[in-house]
Amino acid sequence: MTQPKPNPGVASGDRTGRFVIQPNGHLTPLSPHMGIWRWHVTMAASILFRATLIAASVGLVFVVAWLGALAFGPETYETALALAGSPLGLFVGFGLTVILFSFILNGARHTINDTGNGLTIKSATALSNIAVWAPVPLAILFWVVLFAVGRVSL
Amino acid sequence: MSGAAKFKNKVKISERHGGGEWLAERVLLTALLPLGLWVASTGFTLAGAAYDAVLDWFAKPLNAVLLSVTAVLLFGYLSLAWKVILEDYVPQIGARKALTGLVNLVFFVLAAASLFFIVRLALGSAPLPAGIGA
Repeated sequence: MTQPKPNPGVASGDRTGRFVIQPNGHLTPLSPHMGIWRWHVTMAASILFRATLIAASVGLVFVVAWLGALAFGPETYETALALAGSPLGLFVGFGLTVILFSFILNGARHTINDTGNGLTIKSATALSNIAVWAPVPLAILFWVVLFAVGRVSL
Repeated sequence: MSGAAKFKNKVKISERHGGGEWLAERVLLTALLPLGLWVASTGFTLAGAAYDAVLDWFAKPLNAVLLSVTAVLLFGYLSLAWKVILEDYVPQIGARKALTGLVNLVFFVLAAASLFFIVRLALGSAPLPAGIGA
């Protein structure tokens, strides 16, 4: 693939100062590059969705291990349960719930945006804020209730 | 992208496909959202549960079927997600193809193992390794 060469100063009044000639001959502005960006929560939501999927890939190994422990019988399952109840195990469990809520909320944001909805600056920002911030309090609530009803204990 | 770019009406042909993959990502993600809520409620039910209680849960066909469907859709979706991530960050074609293949293999093994375990638990099979090589 040959890179179209930037052609500086072709058009006056452009904000990038750089235009490229596309393979079909059209003259279009070069996409903003690494040097031209401003932090916004929509960006964080997009990055965190990828991070969530990568973390989920690792986390699912634990879930499959849990299934395997069950399939290997009561003794193996008791061992797995003891590991899951250790401080490190509870930390992994908390991480799994954060990942799950992040997947649901960020996935919902992605799906809403993909159908062409929620794309005004205000609604895109609101959806992204929910997807970025809500998973952690939801996961805390999940575990607080688990402890409160005595399903899980230290 | 391999080989020279082909053009049709002066537009690169590669720009004319890829829609199917995008659609698959959207359909899988949409299906996984309600399943994700179900997984959250399931996790709440089964957290710290005793062995017999968990087996009772697996003995219900609806639970076993929903969990199997979730596993297949989720690993399929993650496979597509990793493909996109690798396409974005690994420019060398050889390394990208090798990593994509490796990721697909890992997810295939995890999905197969999940289904194997779920089916055994749903059928109430004897604990492993009974029935395998013995």
